[in-house]
Amino acid sequence: MIVELLSIPAIILILGAFVLPLLPERIRSTAFITFPLLALAMVWTMPEGNLLQTPFASYELQLLAVDGLSRIFGIIFSLITIIGGIYAFHIKDLGQQSSALAYAGGALGVTFAGDFFTLFIFWEIMAAASSYLIWARETKESDKAGMRYLLVHIFGGGLLFTGILLHLTSGGSLMIESIEPAYTAANIFMLLGVALNTAVPPLHAWLADAYPKATITGAVFMSALTTKSAVYVMIRLFPGWEILIWVGVVMAIYGTIYALLANDIREILAYSIISQIGYMVTAIGIGSELALNGATAHAFNHIIYKSLLFMAAGAVIHATGTSKLSELGGFAKKMPLIIGLYMVGALSISGMPFLNGFVSKTMISGALGDAHLEWPILLLLIATIGTFLHTGLKLPYFTWFAEKKSELEVSSIPTNMKVAMGIGAFFCILFGLAPQLLYSQLPYPTDFKPFSIYNFVEMTQILVLAFAGFWFLKKHLNISSTISLDTDWFYRRPADLVQKAFVQAPNNLFGFTEDITLKLANKLSALSKNPIRYMLPAFTSEGREVKSDGFTASMSAALAFILFGFLVAILVVFL
Amino acid sequence: MKTWHWIALGTLLIVSLILEFTYLADYASHWWNHVPAFYALLGGLGCAVLIFVSKGLGKIFILSDEDYYDR
Repeated sequence: MIVELLSIPAIILILGAFVLPLLPERIRSTAFITFPLLALAMVWTMPEGNLLQTPFASYELQLLAVDGLSRIFGIIFSLITIIGGIYAFHIKDLGQQSSALAYAGGALGVTFAGDFFTLFIFWEIMAAASSYLIWARETKESDKAGMRYLLVHIFGGGLLFTGILLHLTSGGSLMIESIEPAYTAANIFMLLGVALNTAVPPLHAWLADAYPKATITGAVFMSALTTKSAVYVMIRLFPGWEILIWVGVVMAIYGTIYALLANDIREILAYSIISQIGYMVTAIGIGSELALNGATAHAFNHIIYKSLLFMAAGAVIHATGTSKLSELGGFAKKMPLIIGLYMVGALSISGMPFLNGFVSKTMISGALGDAHLEWPILLLLIATIGTFLHTGLKLPYFTWFAEKKSELEVSSIPTNMKVAMGIGAFFCILFGLAPQLLYSQLPYPTDFKPFSIYNFVEMTQILVLAFAGFWFLKKHLNISSTISLDTDWFYRRPADLVQKAFVQAPNNLFGFTEDITLKLANKLSALSKNPIRYMLPAFTSEGREVKSDGFTASMSAALAFILFGFLVAILVVFL
Repeated sequence: MKTWHWIALGTLLIVSLILEFTYLADYASHWWNHVPAFYALLGGLGCAVLIFVSKGLGKIFILSDEDYYDR
C-alpha cells in the first residue's frame, strides 16, 4: 500500500515537503523543482480511470481518479509549481519551500481525488500549508493576516465538510460527480464551502486581504493554486447551476471595481483574480461542453499569466521594497525586461489577440452567445475593459512610468526570477499563437476557432478606446495611500469588541472571582489561627489589660492540663 | 505618449472599423451588432463609467485610511 501511494502525484510533492529538510541547503532549491517535475511526468503519463482504491471504514476511497479534466488541471498545477520553484530558487527559507511543496501537493490531491473524503483532506492540507506562506513574511501585518486567512479557510472547510456529511446521510454517494441543481441543505453547504475558496463575494475578502501580505514567492503559488483548485471542484460538482452565471458576472465586476481603487500592486492583482474567476464561474453556470472547456482553458491560461503578473510585482517589491503605487514611479528605465515581461501577462489578461487570455475568453463568450445570454456577455466585456484599465494600464503606468513620488533605491533582481518570468511569458505567447496545443487537452473535444475577424474587430476597438479613455482620465484613478474596506470589515472591525466580550470580559471575571476567593480564604485562615481570642476576648481588669491569649507559660500549662482533663473525662463517659 | 503612438493606435482603430463595415456588414449574432462601431463606443464609455463609478464608490464608503483597522 505504501509503495502504491507513491503513484499519486500529490503524495510525491507532500513527500518532497518532508524530504527537503533532510537535504543539505545548497541542493534544496534544485530538489524543490525535481518533485513537481516528477509529478508532471506522472500526470502526463497516467492512464485514465480510477487507478487506486483503499478501504476506509465502510467506504472505498478513490485516491487517484484520472480523466481529461483532472489531467489538464494536474498539468498546470505541476507546471506552475516548477515555474514558482525557479522563481524562488534563490530563497533559503526551508519553511517556505516545504510548505509551498505541501501546498501544491494539496492542490494536486484535490484534482485527482475521486471521493469527498480524499478531496476534503487535501483541501485542508492546502489551507494549512498556504497559511505559512503568509506568515513567512514575518511582519506584524502578515502575522495577523495569516491568522485571519487560516480561520476563514477553516470555516470554509467546515462548510464543505458539513455539506459532505449531509450529502452522505441523505443517501448521496461518496464519489465526486456532478450534482443536480437542487437547493437542499447539503448542496448549499457544499456550494458555499467551494465558493469560499473560489473567492465568490461576500466570501472573498480573505484573498485580497492575504495575498498582498504574503511573501514575494509565496504569493506566486497562492495566486495559482487555491482559487483554481476550487474552480476545478466547481466544474466537477456544479456544472449548469444557473445561479452561477450571475454570480460570476457579479464577481467579474466587483473584482474590477476594487482593483481599480487599490493602491497596493499585489492587491490590484488579487482583486483581478476575483474578476477573472468570475468568467470561469459564469462559464460553469452555463454548463455546456463549450462553456466547461472555456472555464478549464481560462483557468489554465489564468494560472500562467496571473503568476507571471505576481512574479513581476514581486520583482518590483524585491527591487524597491515597496508595493504601493503612492510611493512608486519613475524608474521604468531601470527594469525594462521586467516591464516587458509584465506587459505580456497584462495584455494576455486583457484579452489581446495572439496572447493566451484571448483564446479562452473568446471561448467563454462563444458559449454565452450559444446560450443567448447577451447581458452577461456585455457585462463581462465591461469587466475586460476594467481588467485592461487596472492591470494593463494603471498598475504599470503608476509603478514605472508616472513621475517619481519618493526616492527609491532600485536593487538588482536575481536571474532565476527573470528566467521564471520568461518561461511564464513564453507560455502566454505559445498558447496565444497555437491555441490548438491547449484545446487538444481540454476535457471535451472541440473545434472552436478563436481567430475570427469579428473577435479581432471587437478586441481592437475595445482596447484602443479604453486606452484613450485611460490616458485622458487617469488623474481620476486612486493612487493615494488608502486601503479598501471590503467584507472582511465584518470580522476585522468588531474583532476588538469580540475580543473584549469573549476574551477580556471572561478573563476579568475570572480574575475578579479569584481575587475574592483568595481574600475570603485569607480571612478564614486568619480566623482559625487563634480562635480562643474570639471566645475569650481581651478585657481590662483593675487597670491592666488581660489578654485572652496572653497568659504566662505556667498559666497556659495549667489551662492545657484542665482541657486535657476534660477530654479524658469525655472519652471515659462516652466509651 | 509620442505622436506616432497615437497615429499607430488610430490606424489600428481605422483598420478595425473598415473591417467592421466590409467583412462584418451583415453580421448579426447579437442585437448590438446593428450599432455601428459599437465595441469602440463600449470601450470608451465603459472605461469612463468604470473610472467614475469606482471613484464614486471609493469616496462614499470603500476607501479609508491605512490605519483604519489599527485605530
